[in-house]
Amino acid sequence: MKIEGAYSIAAPRETVWQYLMSPESLAHALLGCEKLEPAPDGSFQAVLKIGIGAVKGTYQGRIELADVVPPVSYRMKVEGKGAGGFVSGEGTLSLSADNQGGTKIQYSGEAQVGGLIASVGQRLVQATARQVVNQFFQAFSKQVLSPSAK
Amino acid sequence: MAIAILGERIKRKEDPRLIQGRSHYVDDFKLDGMLHMAFARSIYAHARIKSVDVTAAEKMPGVMAVLTGADLKGKLGLVPCAAGMEGLKVPDHPCLAIDEVRYAGEPVAAVIATDRYLARDAAEKIEVDYEPLPVVVNPEKAIEPGSPLVHQKLGDNLAFVAKLEGGDWKAIEADTSLKVVKQRLVNQRLAPASMETRGVIASYSPGEDMLTVWSSTQIPHILKTQLAIMTGLDEARCRVIAPEVGGAFGSKLNVYGEEGVACFASRMLGKPVKWIEGRRENMLATIHGRDQINNVEIYVQPDGKVMGLKCWIIADLGAYHQLLTPAIPTLTALMILGCYNIPNVFVETKGVFTNKMATDAYRGAGRPEATYIIERIMDIAAREMNMDPAEFRMKNFPQPKEFPLALPTGVTYDTANYQKALKKLTKISGYAKLRREQEKLRKKGKYLGLGLSTYVEICAMGPSSRMPAGGWEFGSVRIDPTGKVTVLSGTSPHGQGEETTFAQIVAEGFGIPYDDVTVFHGDTGMVPLGIGTFGSRTTAVGGTAIHNAVEKLKKKMARIAAPKLEVKPGELIFESGKIQTKDGAKSVAFGDIVAEAIFAKQLPPGIEPGLAEQFVFEPPNYTFPFGAHLAVVEIDAETGEVKLRNYYAVDDCGRVLNPMLVDGQIHGGLAQGIGQALWEDHVYDENGQLLTGTLMDYAMPKAHQFPWFETSGMETRTPVNPLGVKGVGEAGTIGSTPAVVNAVVDALSQHGVRHVDMPLKPEKIWRILNQPMSA
Repeated sequence: MKIEGAYSIAAPRETVWQYLMSPESLAHALLGCEKLEPAPDGSFQAVLKIGIGAVKGTYQGRIELADVVPPVSYRMKVEGKGAGGFVSGEGTLSLSADNQGGTKIQYSGEAQVGGLIASVGQRLVQATARQVVNQFFQAFSKQVLSPSAK
Repeated sequence: MAIAILGERIKRKEDPRLIQGRSHYVDDFKLDGMLHMAFARSIYAHARIKSVDVTAAEKMPGVMAVLTGADLKGKLGLVPCAAGMEGLKVPDHPCLAIDEVRYAGEPVAAVIATDRYLARDAAEKIEVDYEPLPVVVNPEKAIEPGSPLVHQKLGDNLAFVAKLEGGDWKAIEADTSLKVVKQRLVNQRLAPASMETRGVIASYSPGEDMLTVWSSTQIPHILKTQLAIMTGLDEARCRVIAPEVGGAFGSKLNVYGEEGVACFASRMLGKPVKWIEGRRENMLATIHGRDQINNVEIYVQPDGKVMGLKCWIIADLGAYHQLLTPAIPTLTALMILGCYNIPNVFVETKGVFTNKMATDAYRGAGRPEATYIIERIMDIAAREMNMDPAEFRMKNFPQPKEFPLALPTGVTYDTANYQKALKKLTKISGYAKLRREQEKLRKKGKYLGLGLSTYVEICAMGPSSRMPAGGWEFGSVRIDPTGKVTVLSGTSPHGQGEETTFAQIVAEGFGIPYDDVTVFHGDTGMVPLGIGTFGSRTTAVGGTAIHNAVEKLKKKMARIAAPKLEVKPGELIFESGKIQTKDGAKSVAFGDIVAEAIFAKQLPPGIEPGLAEQFVFEPPNYTFPFGAHLAVVEIDAETGEVKLRNYYAVDDCGRVLNPMLVDGQIHGGLAQGIGQALWEDHVYDENGQLLTGTLMDYAMPKAHQFPWFETSGMETRTPVNPLGVKGVGEAGTIGSTPAVVNAVVDALSQHGVRHVDMPLKPEKIWRILNQPMSA
C-alpha cells in the first residue's frame, strides 16, 4: 500500500523541522498515541490505539529515523503489532520552502498490513491511513502555529 | 400393485427435523464440564517464531491450558496426507506450528478455557515474536530459481511433477496441416465457505480409556483411524460421530490439525473440549479450492477434428499438504479430454508450494478445472475454425456405440450419448433462434452471449486400486422383529439426502412402505466400516452396498418362504408387503417370514437365524456422468455487469432414484459453478495476506443473482453398479463455469476479445469495453 501526499504549513522550515523531531509534539498530534518515547538504540517506542473498521486495538510499535538531513529530510521506519495484526512501513519525509514563505512537507512511503487488519479491514486501510495522516497534520500545524497551546 | 418408489419425487426424510431446527450440529452438543478451545494464528505468511509467550494468557482466570507446537512435539502426530505419488515431497505438518509459520492463519497456539469467549480473549493475549521471512505467493514465481522457499529443507517449492502421455505425438507434431490453438487459463482460488463452519468436540473418558469425537466431517471412519494414529490410542478406543453437517463441499473431506489438538487437550485435561471455527478462521484456514494455471494447446485438422491436446498445469498447493492436496490436480489431468475422442494427450502437472492455505477437494475437485480447460479451448478453437461451437463439439464426440471407451488418459468411460444431450439442449433452449437474436442485437450495439459447455465427469469414487484409502463402501440391512428395517451406511451424507434415497432402495427391494425403513450413518460406533461421502459416490457406491445387502436378505427370506408356498425360491418376488409368486397366486406376508427367521422355530436346515446382512461393494470402475449446458448472458455496456439471462442444463447422471434430490444437486451445483465464473475469488496480496477474509469481501453468490435454471435430464445407465446410478453431486458445478465464461467471451467477441480470466466482475468487463478494440 502506497501512502503519499503533501501538506503546507505557514511556518519557516527550521521551525517545522524542530517540531517534527520532537517526540512530544508528534505524540500530541498523533490521534490515539498513548506513548512515544525514545529508546536507548535511538528509535522510539510507541503505543497507538487505532480502529480500522471492525478491527480496533492497541498497537505496540517502534519508530526509527534514518538518513536524517536537517532541516531537509529523513527516512522513517515504522513497525507495529497488536491483536489485530501488524503494520509495517517505510517512507521519506522531506521539507521544502513553499512560495508563500511557508513549508511544504512531502511524504511518501510503502506500508504493509497483516493479520486481521488485512483480511477484514483491507478495504478501509487506505482510507484510514489517509485519515490518520490528515488528522496528524492538522493537529501538528496547529501546534506549530500556536506554540503556546502546546 | 407395487408402489413405485425408486425414481419418484419423494420428500426428504431429513427435512422435517432440519427445517424445524430440531436436529443437532456439533455446536448444539453441550457436555458436562465441557471446555472451549480457541487458536492463536499466524499473522504472517512466512516467519520464524522467535518465541511464544503464553504467560498472560495462562494467568487469566478460567484458562485451563495453553498449548504450543513445542508442547505437542513427539506427543501428537502430524496432520496426515493420504495422497501417495511418485516423488511427492511431503513436508512435516504439525498441528501447531513449530519454529516457523508458513501461511497467514496457521495455528500457533491453542487456549482451552471454561468459556468460548474467554478462550478467544486469552488467545489474543499470546505474544508471539516473529521474524518475518521472504514470502512467495505466485506459484509461477515459486518455481523460478532464487524464489523464497516455503520449506527450506526441501530445496525447492516443487512438490511433484506428474506426466500423463498417450498416443503418437511424433506423427501429430510432424503434421503441418494441423492448426494449433493455444490459451493460458487461470482457475482462481475459491473458498468452500460451507454454511456450518468446521467444529469438533473431543471427549476423553480416562476411566473407560475412550475417546469420543463429534466432528463436522465427511469421513468419520477415516478420521477415526487418523486420530487414533495421531493420538496413539487404539482404534477400538476411538469413536467418531458426524452429526448433522451443514455443508462441506469437500472441505470436510479432511483431517485437520485442530481436530488433533482437541483430542490431545481432552486427553490431557480429562474433560470434553469443543472448538467451533469462526467464519474468519473458515475463510483463512479451512482448505481452499481450485487455484491452477493452465497452458493448453490443441491440434485441429482442417475439417475440425481435434487430434491432440497438450497442457501444462501449475497447481498452487499452498504451504502444506492436507489429506488429498496433491491428488486433486491429478484428477484434472485424468479428465482433461472431456467428452471428445482426442487420440493424443500430453499433460504435465507441477504441484507447487506457496505461502498460502492448502488447497484440496472443493466440489468437483480437479474436474471443474479439467472441464474449464477443455471447454474453453474447444470454444476458442471453434471460433478460429469459423465453426459454430455446437457443430465443432458434435464433430468431436465419440459415437454412443463406441462405449465403453478407453481414452489415452488411461480412463475408460462407461456409457454416454453426448450427441443426444447436446441436441436436447439446443432444442429446449431454442439455440438457433437465440443465435438470430444475437445477430439482431449486435447490429444495435448490444451484447448478448451464448456459452455452451458439454461436460463429462468422473464419479462414484472409485475402484480401490485408484483411491488412497480404499474406494469400496459398506452397507448393512437388518430387519427387526417388528418387520421394520434398520439400515447402516459407511457413507456420511451431509445435506445430500441419502437417508431418503437409501430408504427408497430398501423399500423398493422388499416391497414394503418407505416409512418402515430407518437409515443411520456417520457414527463409527454404530457403523463398523466406511469410507465416506465425496466424489459423488454416496448413492452409486454406498447405495449399491445397501442394495446388495437387501438382495442377500431377499435370497434368505425366499429360501424360508419357498417351502411354505411349495415353490422354488427363484420363483418368488417381494411386493406390497408380501413374498409371492410372480402371478400373485401364492403368497405369504413379509412380516410372517420375518418372524420365522428371527424366532427360528422351524427354519429349514442350514439357515442361520436372524435377518441381518452386510455388503461391502467394490466398484469395478468409476462412472462418467455427462451433460450439456447453455448460458445466455447480456452485458451492460455502461457498467460492465454480466446479467445471466437464461441457463439451460441437460444432465445425465445415469439412473435417477429421486428426481427432486437430483434437481437440488444440480441447482446448488450450478450456483457454485456460476459463482466462480462471475464473482468468487479468494485473494492474497503479494505479502501472503488474505484480502478476502470475510463474506463482506468474498463475493458469495446470492439467490437473486440467478435466473430460474431450466434443468432437464436424460438417463444413460451405467453397468458399473446394479442400480445403474452414476452420481450427480458435482455435475452442476463442473458444467456451469465454462458455459458462463464461454457466453461472456461470445458476447465480447465483437469487441475482439478471445479470452478473459475469471471472475468476470463488472470492473474487468467495463475496462475491456472501454479500451481500444484489440486486433
